[in-house]
Amino acid sequence: MQLTATSELETAIGTDVAALTGDFEALVRLYRPKVFRFALASLRDVDAAESVTQDCFLRAYKARERFRQKCSLHTWLMQIAVNLIRDHTRNRRFQFWKRANLTAQSVDVAGYAIADRGRSPEAQALLQERVAAIWTAAERLPQKQRTVFLLRFVEDMDLLEIAVATGMKEGTVKTHLFRALRAVRERIGERV
Amino acid sequence: MIAHLSTDQLSEYVLAQPSPLIERHIQDCPACRAELTNFREALGEFRGAVRAWSQDQAKQVLASPAALPERRSWAASHQLAWALLIAVVCVIASFVIPRHRVESAAGSDAVLLNQVDAQVSRTAPSSMEPLMKLVVQE
Repeated sequence: MQLTATSELETAIGTDVAALTGDFEALVRLYRPKVFRFALASLRDVDAAESVTQDCFLRAYKARERFRQKCSLHTWLMQIAVNLIRDHTRNRRFQFWKRANLTAQSVDVAGYAIADRGRSPEAQALLQERVAAIWTAAERLPQKQRTVFLLRFVEDMDLLEIAVATGMKEGTVKTHLFRALRAVRERIGERV
Repeated sequence: MIAHLSTDQLSEYVLAQPSPLIERHIQDCPACRAELTNFREALGEFRGAVRAWSQDQAKQVLASPAALPERRSWAASHQLAWALLIAVVCVIASFVIPRHRVESAAGSDAVLLNQVDAQVSRTAPSSMEPLMKLVVQE
């Protein structure tokens, strides 16, 4: 039901410039969770993710006249978010806190909502281990590989959309994705 | 026929670009098929877990009072008024107290001069005063 409502809203908004200038609030309501999710998965810091999300919509609002519909609004917003996240991770202060945080504690995302689906407790535990391994592997990926990995496997974007959002060629996206997947797969093999 | 799929070949399959050879192997090999299913399932659950975590964090951000702009309460503006008043009193005091100190210093100088005068105008030093009394009595 949620998906239908979102789709209807997406259709109502469309991908035209009028939506950007007319009902910007509706646009924020629709895409904010997605931008926040991507920022959070990339930075693993709630405050930083919130700050990036706000900056993303601020920049989108300021640049709304320049949106030319060459891609969807979602891809355009993700493009802004990718640039902001890249700038943020280059920030020395963020790097310092990130290092400090890594030694202190890391988020256990595997504990979140892994559906039972009638699995045995052993199978459930094994799956949780695998998800934790993917989470750890994703954190250790180089920036570009992590970005394409998250856009593909969390945000469900296709290669062409990822290429537009990251400013890479489609072939380069494929290469980064392949390397990321190999690293993740190897990590699962080590852990499980 | 290949033995079993390597990590690269499995990754290739997950990215939906498998060669016909890999495609055929997946159909024929139950072990590789199971491996592929597990990998895909883990990636799917990873997506679900990250989304659930993000939703949870987003709720906490919205629920946190710090995230909302605070309205200045009556008590807060009262405190501000008091702070302003104290600041004004401090500023006035900083002007008044030094002048008072100058006046009191001038007063103490006059007292000291009187004492010096009294000491100078004595006929004998204070340590000789008991002897002077005896001489007067005689």
